[in-house]
Amino acid sequence: MMDSKRRNFLKSAAMAAAGSMVAGNTSLPVVHADQAVDDLPTGEGMEWNKAPCRFCGTGCHVQVGVEDGRVVAIAGDKAADVNKGLLCVKGYHVGGILYGKDRLTQPLLRQDDGSLKAIEWDKAIEIIAKRIFDSPETFAFYGSGQWTIPEGYAAQKFMKGGLGNNHIDPNARLCMASAVTGFLATYGVDEPAGCYQDLDECDVLITWGNNPAEMHPVLFSRVTDRRSRGETVRIIDIGTRRTRTTDAANDYLEMKPHGDVAISLGIMHLLIENDNYDKSFVEKHCNFRGAEELTPTLQGEQISEDDFRKRIAKYTPELVEELSGVPADSIRMLADLFGNHDIRITSLWCMGMNQHTMGTAINSLVHGVHLLSGHFGRPGDAPTSLTGQPSACGTVREVGTLAHALPGGRVVAKPEHREQCEGFWNVREGSINEVPGYHTVKMFEQFTTPTSDGGDITTMFVQVTNPGQTLPNLNALFNDKKGLEDKFLIVSDVYPTATTALADLILPAAMWVEKNGMFGNSERRTQQWFKMVDPPGEARDDTWMTIAIAHKLFEMGHEGMKDRDGDFIFAVKDDDGQEIPVWEFDRYYDTNVDKHLFEEYRLFTTMKHKNLAPYEEYVKARGLRWPVVEQEDGSWRETKFRFSGFDDPFVKEGQEFDFYHSSSDDGRAQIWFHEYAPPPEMPDDEFPMWLCTGRVLEHWHTGTMTRRLAPLNRAMPTAYVEMHMEDAKAANIRQGEVVTIESRRGVCDLPVWIDGRGRPPRGTVFVPFFDETKLINNVTLDAHDPFSKQPDYKKCAVRVVKKADAKVSS
Amino acid sequence: MNRLTTIFLSLVMAVAVVGYFVGLGDGVPKPDGLYDSPLLDRELSATVASEVKLIPAVSYAEIASTPMGPTKPWQGMPQALPGADYDLYTKIEPSEAEKEASSKLRASRRAFNGAPPIIPHPVENTTDAACYACHSNGVKMAGLKASVMSHQFLGNCVQCHAPMAPAPFQDVDASVDTSFVGLPAPKQGKRAYQGAPPTIPHSQWMRESCNACHGGPHGWAGMESTHPWRTNCTQCHAPSATLDQMPEADIVPMLPPLDVVAK
Repeated sequence: MMDSKRRNFLKSAAMAAAGSMVAGNTSLPVVHADQAVDDLPTGEGMEWNKAPCRFCGTGCHVQVGVEDGRVVAIAGDKAADVNKGLLCVKGYHVGGILYGKDRLTQPLLRQDDGSLKAIEWDKAIEIIAKRIFDSPETFAFYGSGQWTIPEGYAAQKFMKGGLGNNHIDPNARLCMASAVTGFLATYGVDEPAGCYQDLDECDVLITWGNNPAEMHPVLFSRVTDRRSRGETVRIIDIGTRRTRTTDAANDYLEMKPHGDVAISLGIMHLLIENDNYDKSFVEKHCNFRGAEELTPTLQGEQISEDDFRKRIAKYTPELVEELSGVPADSIRMLADLFGNHDIRITSLWCMGMNQHTMGTAINSLVHGVHLLSGHFGRPGDAPTSLTGQPSACGTVREVGTLAHALPGGRVVAKPEHREQCEGFWNVREGSINEVPGYHTVKMFEQFTTPTSDGGDITTMFVQVTNPGQTLPNLNALFNDKKGLEDKFLIVSDVYPTATTALADLILPAAMWVEKNGMFGNSERRTQQWFKMVDPPGEARDDTWMTIAIAHKLFEMGHEGMKDRDGDFIFAVKDDDGQEIPVWEFDRYYDTNVDKHLFEEYRLFTTMKHKNLAPYEEYVKARGLRWPVVEQEDGSWRETKFRFSGFDDPFVKEGQEFDFYHSSSDDGRAQIWFHEYAPPPEMPDDEFPMWLCTGRVLEHWHTGTMTRRLAPLNRAMPTAYVEMHMEDAKAANIRQGEVVTIESRRGVCDLPVWIDGRGRPPRGTVFVPFFDETKLINNVTLDAHDPFSKQPDYKKCAVRVVKKADAKVSS
Repeated sequence: MNRLTTIFLSLVMAVAVVGYFVGLGDGVPKPDGLYDSPLLDRELSATVASEVKLIPAVSYAEIASTPMGPTKPWQGMPQALPGADYDLYTKIEPSEAEKEASSKLRASRRAFNGAPPIIPHPVENTTDAACYACHSNGVKMAGLKASVMSHQFLGNCVQCHAPMAPAPFQDVDASVDTSFVGLPAPKQGKRAYQGAPPTIPHSQWMRESCNACHGGPHGWAGMESTHPWRTNCTQCHAPSATLDQMPEADIVPMLPPLDVVAK
């Protein structure tokens, strides 16, 4: 019984919305076009060139249309195998990311009164170099999976080779560190064996806590479009809320947080009990492994098959139902599918399994399900871990820009690895520090702890990422605090962000096609592009910044910046042997610095058989999947299916499968057993709801780029909290009402979307993290996986409070 | 007496009924926004449609329970007998003014020429089937037009076409301050000489169905083909190799000229 007044109000509200639709919303909400452009583009003289998309880890190629030095159009690249001419709504509008009105265009130094003052680049480089020179061991470099391969490589060499400082870590620690440890624990070497072709050939696709319909839409429609063509693909969605992926799924298995661990154990239990696991595959190619009792390591200890059977015996479908909330019959259904060797099964996962306090365990277990059932290594049979950033694989995992790693799958802890790197870099012996540096959470803990209390990171350089929005538990790890006056935060970025808000020195960066670059996507594909337009104002390349700082230190006499011959470690020589002063920005593009760095980096890649081709091969291709091996005719061949004898050139002649980097040195992969453990924080009387955070189709990561694109911002103008209708009803909360989400760590105000795009079950709320004005990471938990050190953003306990009742408002 | 009893009893009943409803409305706000959707409200959707010439799309599951019949403004109009079916051979004389108006409207929905158009009407969390219901063959009715898909069926429409803001957030300011200037739609193709068929001035990728814009009953005013009965467009209208991402060639490769020796 709605009274007429209210009805009228609703109507007029809807009319107002509708009215604004006519004014702005049916078309694109662009404030104004640029006066700076005298002649509007006409398409005459427009040049097209290839580049990988700037956003996610899928690695679509786009064609970039450039006219009069400006990007004016984007098209899906028909020659690209990844996306075959299609893109998603972000990719189609990627050209606009260069043109937000508030691009950073000059270095800015924070003054004592908190204001920012424009300074010259020389001055900025000098300030940074001086801080590093004065205290090299308390400097930290925080980068990202959006670093291009040469950017990450330069940063890596500068820190570990030059400064002998291992405090370099990427935001990918928050994103796929558990995927890495899962691969290492299982195969002894990182990154997926299969490729996107698996999506074209699978009969069953299982999405584990994954919503590819929104997060990797090009890959997901690659599967659903097969249905439109008349093929049958069964999609099974295992998740904690209904999503657009669920809409396309044949089965939806709703699990409790951490239920995935129980489900994978339950499947393995049944495979063994029903005796329909792949005995021949397991016998020839697998070992069993469990965690050590006292101090568990990534290596674990070998256990017998009997021992494995004994340990897993208790994970009956009934127990799994109790732990996961998924009915026992559904567990049996999954086990029967895996027990059927006539079908091909591909698993897909991304943040759901990675941002998990049992991240390493669940990654290993899902690999284990595929290995035990033999659903591995045939096209369509693949455990496939996706990445969220364009070069999380290429830069972070392969170049190894992690606190413990060295390029090409090496680690600082191994003397022979250090020695090899010192050799490749021609830096003096013993340059590389053997102690791993701080991982992300630790790094920020040390940076935000006063020096007098042992906070031994005093200067931090952040490139290509936005920790002020993405770190968990921001109140502990980032937000402004007292006693940090001596700390110095340097941020290189393209737009003002939550991170630049606290920066002492802001450096304007060139982005995407304003510079040369290389990315590596989720399927081991290395991609290359050329600079197409100039960056605005004084914005400069991140690689250049690193080299310029290194050169300033070299001039100041820092020994680490000299190689064994006394030359600058980033010296680039022309054909006549003359050094090109690439540290001067107006000379930086006299040569292709990317190419020089990449050719040097290539030397590192053969140890783990992740061989890369010469730079020029990538210029010609729409990316190549490593290992890329030279053929007798001089051509270069990429590898689609690693470890499979029919495709991988490094598998021993005549072998069907060969895990040639096996951690047990016998060519076998490891099937792990991990005991189920409950999440570190569970809802209780005080904080009765689960909070899950994530993403939406229209925005990428912290939205700094996509929220400056009219079509995307129009579609998703604000973050929100998704709630179940009954939960809202019980708390007397209305559609669109702004509520406060409270946890033990902080609060965040958000408008409510009841039964929104995703539909969480009762007792769960979901919040996307893209909106810099509504920082949900003030609320999240910083508990992390013991091996990967990756925090869990997917589950913590909160309460949803009407704003009037909130104790503290954000 | 009997009458008095009747009056008394009816009064009691009336008071009870009134009291019941007053009791229901105890002044405490009910979470009554829950079930409201401007899309499902018959009266409202009629108003929305008549005011802004838009028809809301509802999810496929909700189609059955959604009034899809003639809208109020439609009913209010003088009804004429239905005209003949679309006649392929009606003489078509596209006007420049119409073409410009159509171009403008189309441009307002694209960041640049070639970008997938945004969705200019409210959608709830629809499945592709709901989109397909109107956009597979197109609809034209009372000045409203649902465009025909210019490409083959592809799953996940909102992968490429950005919808309007979700219902609860439609009054959030989504304006963007950008200096991006997109490629405008080309005005026309080139003709080798007067009377020659013009070339295709845009890429054909995702625009395989020429009739979506240029012909049939649901094309764009001013852009229609004058000869919609012809079905093989590229027989006469040459596409562009560059725009269609064909292999690049700076110079058209030719055999060397004949070696003719001068006497």
